Amino acid sequence: MDEVDKILIHSLRQTGTDVGKDVQSVKHFTSELIVEAVVRCLRVIDPALGSGLCPSLPPGMSARFRVGMSLAQACQDLGYKGEIGYQTFLYSNEPEIRSLLMFLVEKLPRESAEASDQPAGKSALLQKSIAAQIKAQLALPWLSPSCRLPLLCKTQNPGPSHSFHSQTLSLPHCLKVPGKRQLKGKPQNTQDPQENDYHRDFLPPVTAQPSQHASVPASLLEQHAGELSAAQEWENEWNSQGLLSRLTPEEYRSRKRARLQKRIEEQLRTAAQTRPDTLGAHGSGSDLTELLQSFGGSPLIGDILAKGTRFTHTEKFTFTEEPEKAAKQMAAAANSLPSSHQSEEDLQARQQEELASLQQQLQQLSLSLEEVGGDMRQLTVSIHQVSDELKQKELSNTEEEDSVRVKKQTIYLLPDGENNLAKLQALVEGSAERVVNLAAQWEKHRAPLIDEHRRLKELCSNQAMESSRKLSEIKELHEKISQSAEEAKKKEGLYKQLITEFENLPKDISRSAYTARILEIVGNIRKQKEEITKILSDTKELQKEINSLTGKLDRTFAVTDELVFKDAKKDESVRKSYKYLAALHENCTQLIQTIEDTGTIMREIRDLEEQIETENGKKTVSNLEKILEDYKAIRQENSALAAKIREA
Amino acid sequence: MAAPETQLMLSVGLIEKDVNADTLWVWCYPSVSAELREVLLSKCCLRQDSRGLHTFVFGQFRRTWYYISTVEVQEPTALKKVQLVTHFSIVVTTKDFNPEKYAAFSRVLCRIYIKHGSPVKMMEGYIAVLTKGVCQSDENGSFLIKDYDVRKAYLAGSVKDVVSQFGMETIILYTALMLKKRIVVHHPQVEALLEFTRALPALTWHRKDWSILHPYVHLTDSELENLRTCTGYVAGFVDPEVSNRSDLFDVYVNLPDSEITISQSAKEAMSMGKLHKDIGLVIVQSAENADRTDGQIIKDISIKTREILANLASLAEECENSKITLETLKQRHFPPATENFLFHLAAAEQLLKI
Repeated sequence: MDEVDKILIHSLRQTGTDVGKDVQSVKHFTSELIVEAVVRCLRVIDPALGSGLCPSLPPGMSARFRVGMSLAQACQDLGYKGEIGYQTFLYSNEPEIRSLLMFLVEKLPRESAEASDQPAGKSALLQKSIAAQIKAQLALPWLSPSCRLPLLCKTQNPGPSHSFHSQTLSLPHCLKVPGKRQLKGKPQNTQDPQENDYHRDFLPPVTAQPSQHASVPASLLEQHAGELSAAQEWENEWNSQGLLSRLTPEEYRSRKRARLQKRIEEQLRTAAQTRPDTLGAHGSGSDLTELLQSFGGSPLIGDILAKGTRFTHTEKFTFTEEPEKAAKQMAAAANSLPSSHQSEEDLQARQQEELASLQQQLQQLSLSLEEVGGDMRQLTVSIHQVSDELKQKELSNTEEEDSVRVKKQTIYLLPDGENNLAKLQALVEGSAERVVNLAAQWEKHRAPLIDEHRRLKELCSNQAMESSRKLSEIKELHEKISQSAEEAKKKEGLYKQLITEFENLPKDISRSAYTARILEIVGNIRKQKEEITKILSDTKELQKEINSLTGKLDRTFAVTDELVFKDAKKDESVRKSYKYLAALHENCTQLIQTIEDTGTIMREIRDLEEQIETENGKKTVSNLEKILEDYKAIRQENSALAAKIREA
Repeated sequence: MAAPETQLMLSVGLIEKDVNADTLWVWCYPSVSAELREVLLSKCCLRQDSRGLHTFVFGQFRRTWYYISTVEVQEPTALKKVQLVTHFSIVVTTKDFNPEKYAAFSRVLCRIYIKHGSPVKMMEGYIAVLTKGVCQSDENGSFLIKDYDVRKAYLAGSVKDVVSQFGMETIILYTALMLKKRIVVHHPQVEALLEFTRALPALTWHRKDWSILHPYVHLTDSELENLRTCTGYVAGFVDPEVSNRSDLFDVYVNLPDSEITISQSAKEAMSMGKLHKDIGLVIVQSAENADRTDGQIIKDISIKTREILANLASLAEECENSKITLETLKQRHFPPATENFLFHLAAAEQLLKI
């Protein structure tokens, strides 16, 4: 009970009730204290409900009566199931007050529920603190500069804000701890000793590198963001494509570099190739080709640009004529620009002349064009014809050579025609047989080799499947590793955060003592429950025994009764024994009855004793005295009020 | 001794596909060059899993005709159990064009191979045909070379079908063939391609030249190089990409859509006029006549061709060296299209003065 009271008093103190230091248990609560506690609790639980109530008891009796009624009503509205009325507050008794206060304290809203919902993590904490700071600063009203206190000056000036300027920083690549380097004796970074010297002796620290001090954070952020994204990109790419290509990281990087370089070259090349076809862009095209040649592989590029099918060459021919014509025309036009001080007729005559000459030129050019076209056609057609003839002649040549060869050999054999024919046939058959023989031998060698080849191919494809399966497994493992690493990091952050929170919590109440006590109580209750069940089972056993014994008794008695009764008719002694038996039975039953009655009476005694105790605790007598006094006071007030009314 | 025609056969080869879907060139006699082997492996339909089985395919490469018969091993023979072979193709390379003959021959060889499971027996059959011109086969009777005449092979293509599909546009094909231009035909199915293209050289029956026929070509470098060395050809492609390769053709025939297009560079040479209309009418009328067979249609066309050639020859005789020049043609005042056509035809028939 002490613990419960302490908890209650502590919670009431938290709601704002002024509980004195010497008040240790609910028994000592006065009516004023009770009312104040209940009102404050109500205010916390439900501000609407509690706002109309006053925490202190008014002196007048009727007023007190009213306050008690309204408090009782409020508590019932909240949902208190027990019996409650004005008497609970004015004439209190311990158990009722305790249960009411416990109900109210339980209803108090819990603050701890909020804290557990908040996200964990260092960055979240940082963001929360930033948000809190900004909120606090925004909450302050803006004051004009002359009215500001120095503290406000800092936050309300535009001074601290800067625009985001970033500059590239140079950092040495070797990020190992310097101490380790010294221990090992030789530098880790063996790429370039001069670079190391520069890094060590001349390179200014990062905070001094940007030209303006204000751009240091911006530059650092940008540098870090760049490095982070590059590292992440590399991770992603390596995990997705790099592993599949089954190369080492360096090989993969060098291949990628070569590939990208080729693509750039190709793009530049195609851009350079389209240039020469357009008029007037010769200059830029040649610049570009020079540039490409300087990249390396110069003969190739020149060849590719110069190479073209028949069609591009002919295009070039026709197009190169045009710029010349255009130039000529432009020159002619420039020449014929009239000077301002010549007369109109001269002008017109001149123009006519020029027109005629230009037309003549045009005709001549078109004539020559036609001629050239006709010549070209003729030439192509004759080329066709000639190449055709050539091919045919070559083919017929080879054919003729073959037939000449065969005929030569036949001529040799012609004199002795018949014989030779027979010999030839025999020869042919012989060689045919030999060839078939050889083929059979070859087959013996070939078949096992082919089988071997097939078997090895199968093995190879199986191995390829195996390796791709293992690759996918590796990828999965990678993913799992990264996932678990992330989780571990998160959990560690959370743990650190919770520890700091825990250390910051107030230590006035020892939760561990409470939790230990609670667990103890729970254990005790469990033990008691076990004992109760044991006792119950024992009782059941006993009851069963009793029942069986009574049953047995009845049956035995009935049997003996019958037996003896049968003989009792004849024999005198048996009749006597029968009477004794009956008397014995009756006395025993009476005994048993008395024992049972004793048991029930003892139980009643115990119940009554309990009731006496509870009644005693209710301090009814003092309450009755108080009630009588209050009743007298109310009567006096009533009479006073009545007198007042009569007077008025 | 057998007639010199048997020297036309060059080699026989065997390609197998096993249960690992691996295609190998396993055996050949006497020998096949590595380049030709590559080409043949690509033509043989065993390499491409998605398409169906083409039982018989033929084509030309560097003046060598190849004929490929493919068979799926179905019955539980020695082949399937021991060697895990699922399909095989037999390739016969020759110098002459005769699809029927070599189809029958390769079928016989296939049957021998399935039955015995070893190429040795196949080789015996091949040598028998090579030396004696006769081979025993399991089906009815034996295979005799002399049953297959080359003229029959030339006439086996159906000109009637060509004319019925293209109607009057057949004259474009006729003109292109006469002028030794490059015709490219496209059809997604090999069999239809082979059927159609083999009939085209019959339109210029006076030349009887089937070496211009390349019925089954892929867009690979070696084959395209081979095509470029020929002045005029009829090439069949299954790859629809060929329509973008305008450097390969003067006339493009899209067989499934029945479209004929003339490429820009050849439009000038292939201009057609009244003469062409006449010839076209003759062709169409002859084909529409249900009583006339393919042979007769070809005959009609060749009669007309001979007329034109006779005309040209008479023109040539009047000139020096019996060679025609453009001026002689111009003197005759033919209509421009006819003049153009005769000019190019003279070049094709080697009657032009250089």
